[in-house]
Amino acid sequence: MTTPLLKISHLQKRFGKFQALKDIDFEIYPGEVFGFIGPNGAGKSTTIRVLLGILKANGGSATIFGEDVWEKSVAIHQRIAYVPGDVYLWPNLSGGEIIDLFLKMNGEHHSEKTDALIKEFGLDPRKKARTYSKGNRQKVALIAAFSTDADFYIFDEPTSGLDPLNEQTFQEHVLQLKSAGKSILLSSHILSEVEKMCDRIGIIREGAIVETGTLAEMRHLTRTTIDVQTVQPLTGLATLPGVHGLTTKHGENHVSLAVEADQLTAVMQYLTAKQLVTLTSTPPTLEDLFMRYYESPNDARTADGE
Amino acid sequence: MMSGQLFKRTGLLIRLNLKRDWTKILIWTVTLAGLLTAIAAKFDGIYSTSKAIDSIVKTLKSPAMVSLFGAFMAKPPYTTAKIFATEMVVFMAIVMVIMNIMLAVATTRGEEDDGLLELVRAHAVGRLAPLTAGVVELTGLNFVLGLLYGAGLQVSGMPGADTAGNWLIGFGLAAMGWLFGMLTLLIAQLADNAGETTMLSYAIFGVMYIARMSTDVSDPQTTWWIPFGWIEKLSIYQNNDWLPILWMLLFGLVCAGLAATLNWRRDMGAGFIATRQGRRTASPFLAGPMTLLWRESRTALLAWTVGNLVLGAAYGSIFNTIGDLAKSNPMIKQLLGTSALAAANRVIVKNFIAILAIVIVVVALIPAVQTMLKLVSDENKGYLHQLYATATSRWHVWASYTGFALAEALLVYLAGLVGMYVTGLTVMTDPIKWGTYWQVWLAYVPAMLVMVAAASLLAGWLPKWRYLAWFWVLYGFFSLYLGSLIKLPTWAKKVTPLGFVNKVPLKAIDWSTSWWLLGLTVLILVIASIGYRRRDLAQ
Repeated sequence: MTTPLLKISHLQKRFGKFQALKDIDFEIYPGEVFGFIGPNGAGKSTTIRVLLGILKANGGSATIFGEDVWEKSVAIHQRIAYVPGDVYLWPNLSGGEIIDLFLKMNGEHHSEKTDALIKEFGLDPRKKARTYSKGNRQKVALIAAFSTDADFYIFDEPTSGLDPLNEQTFQEHVLQLKSAGKSILLSSHILSEVEKMCDRIGIIREGAIVETGTLAEMRHLTRTTIDVQTVQPLTGLATLPGVHGLTTKHGENHVSLAVEADQLTAVMQYLTAKQLVTLTSTPPTLEDLFMRYYESPNDARTADGE
Repeated sequence: MMSGQLFKRTGLLIRLNLKRDWTKILIWTVTLAGLLTAIAAKFDGIYSTSKAIDSIVKTLKSPAMVSLFGAFMAKPPYTTAKIFATEMVVFMAIVMVIMNIMLAVATTRGEEDDGLLELVRAHAVGRLAPLTAGVVELTGLNFVLGLLYGAGLQVSGMPGADTAGNWLIGFGLAAMGWLFGMLTLLIAQLADNAGETTMLSYAIFGVMYIARMSTDVSDPQTTWWIPFGWIEKLSIYQNNDWLPILWMLLFGLVCAGLAATLNWRRDMGAGFIATRQGRRTASPFLAGPMTLLWRESRTALLAWTVGNLVLGAAYGSIFNTIGDLAKSNPMIKQLLGTSALAAANRVIVKNFIAILAIVIVVVALIPAVQTMLKLVSDENKGYLHQLYATATSRWHVWASYTGFALAEALLVYLAGLVGMYVTGLTVMTDPIKWGTYWQVWLAYVPAMLVMVAAASLLAGWLPKWRYLAWFWVLYGFFSLYLGSLIKLPTWAKKVTPLGFVNKVPLKAIDWSTSWWLLGLTVLILVIASIGYRRRDLAQ
C-alpha cells in the first residue's frame, strides 16, 4: 500500500469554549479525488484552514507530503494549489494582476495555459477586483489554481457562485488533473459533482468524521428500494429482518419495500421462492444517503428512515 | 416620487447605525468632552497672574504660534478665558474634523463597500433613508458634543469666561465638525470607494488648513474665504460673534443637499469618479507581499509625501517673517550688530523648527500606522487568506508590512523637512543649512520607529486592540502640540517616545536616548514577529 499524501489523525481545534473540530481522521492517497462533505458549520473549512497552516490545531496531527502542516507550511504550499469558497481580492488590482501574483508567489509564471483558462472561464482580466461578482472572483482563484502545476489541489466549495457552464468547465479540469495523477481534496455541497468526480468521500458532522469510504461502500451501508410483483402472495415479507416501508401497490402481489444491504440476499431468496413476475431495484440516491448522515450521524445504519 | 417613499424607515436605520457605532461614539464623546473640560478647569492654575498672561500673549502673537493656532484676535484686557479660546479652538476643531470624516466615511461608502447597503436597500427602505440616517447620526453626535463642551466650560468657571462665549465654543466646534461631516457625505457620492473618500476628504481639509495658516500669517481678514478659518472668527469672550456659525451651517446644508441630490441620481456602488480599467497581466515587478503592498499603497504614500512636503513648505515660507527681529524692532540692529542679529534670528527660526517638527512627525506617523494596521484589516477582509495558501511565509508578510510602514514613516517625515528647507532657502536672506534639518530628522527617527513597532506588536499579538496605536499617536500629538502651553507635567509628555526627544535643533541630539529607543524598536519588532507567526489568522 502506498503512503498517504495527506494524513489527519485525531485533529482538534477549539475557538475559546467552542470545540470546532473534535476528532478528524482521514487520509488521501496519491492520485485520489477525495470528496469532503457535511452540513454548514460542521468544520469543513476549519479543517482546511488547519491544513493550510492558517489556524493552529489544539490536538492531533495533520501532515501533507509527510510534513507537519503548521511547521512546514511554506514548503508544503510550494506544492499545493487552493481555492476558497469565499474569494476576497484586493479591490484595486485587476483580475489579471491577481492571477499573476498568485502564480509568482508559488514560483510559477503566467503561461499559455493561463491565457487559455482565462478564455475558457470567460473572465475579463482587466476589470478591477472591486467590480467583480462572486462568480468572477471565484474564477480568478480557479484560474490561478488550475494554471499552477501542483501535486495536491484543495477546493473549498469552489463552484458556489459559478454558472452551470463554468461549473462544467471546472469539472472537466478536475477530471484532467485526476487523469494526470494529481490528488484533490474537494469540499462541496453539490452532490452530483461529488458523485461524478470523487473516488472516496469523507462525511463530517459537528466536528467529527462520521464516515469515510467509496460511494459504493457507502451505498452498501444503506437500503436498496425494490419494486416487485410475484405469483404467490408475499404474506411473511413484513416479518423478515431488514425490511422497511413495505407498501402495497395496485395489481396482485405487487409491493415496494426498502431492504438493508446486509439482508439483501435473504430477502431476494425469499422473493424468488415466491416466483417473480417483475422486479426493479433502485440504489439509494446520493441525496438519501447524505440526508441520513446529516440528520443523524451516529446511528445512520440503524435509524429508521420512516 | 413621494417624499415618504424616499425616506421610509429612516428611523430604523438610525437606530441600526447607533447600535453599530455606539462604542466609537461613546469613546469620542467622553474623550473630547472630558479633554476640553479638564483643560479648562486646569487653565486658571496655569494662566492666573497678569504676568503669565502677558508673556503668553506675546508668544501667541508670534507668527509661529499664529500658524499653529490662528491669528491672535483677542483685545486687552486679556483674561485666562481669552487665552484658552485662542489656544484650544483650532486644535479641538482639527480633532472634530477627523472624527466626522471617519464616521461619515464608515456610514456611507464603508457600508456600501462591505455590501451591507445592498442588503438594506433590498428591503422596504427609502432610497435616501441610509444617507439621511447618516446625516441624523452626525448631526446628533455633533450637537451632543456641542452641549457637553458648553456645559463643561460653564462648570469649569474660568476667569473672564462668559456664558455666551462658553456656548459659542461648544456650538462653534460642533458646527465645524458637522460641516466636515456633511462635506464628507458629499465626497462619498463622488468617489466610488471608502479609501478614496477618506483620502479626498483629508486632502480638502489639508488644503484648507494650510491655506488658513498662510492667510493668518499674512492677512487674517482673507481667512474669511476659507471655511475652516471660520472657527477663528467667532471672537470668543470678546464680541461673541455667532455669524460664522451661521456660515458653517449654511455651507454644511449645501453639502448635505448636494450629497442627497447626487445620491438619489447615482447607481449603488458607482461614483462620479469612476474606477479605471486595470492591467491585463501583472507587471514583472509585482511578485510578492512587499511589491503588492507598494502596488496597493503607492497612491496613498505619494499623497502623504506630497502633503507633508507642502505642509513643510508652507511653514518654511514664513521663516523670513518669523526670523526677522529687526522688523518688529528697528533699534535692535544697532544694538546687536549685523552678525549678532543674524544669529539671534537663526535661534528664533530654529526654535520654530523644533516646535513644527512635531506636526510633521505626527503627519508622517499617520500613513505608517495605517499601513501597519492594514496587516490586520487585510487579514480580516480575507485578502491575505489565499496569499497564505501560497509558498509565502508569515514572516515574509509581516516583515513586508512592517518594513513598508517603517520606511513610510521615515520618508514622509523627510519630505516635510525637505519642503521646509526648500522654501526656507528661497525666502530667507540667511537660510538655515540642510545639516540642521538633517539633525532634526535623525533626532525624531528612533522615537517614530518605536511607535510604528508598537503598532506591529498589536498586529502580532492583540489584533483586536490595534486601535490603541491610533490612540497613542493622537495622544503624542496632543501632549506635544499643546503640552507646554497647558503646562502638562513632564511625565505626561513622556507617555510617548516622542516626549523623550530633545528640542533639536536648538539643542543637540541626545544620542543615548536615540540608541536605547532604537534598541527598544528592535526588541518590540522581535516580539511582534513571534506573535504574528504563532497566532491564528482571522476566519
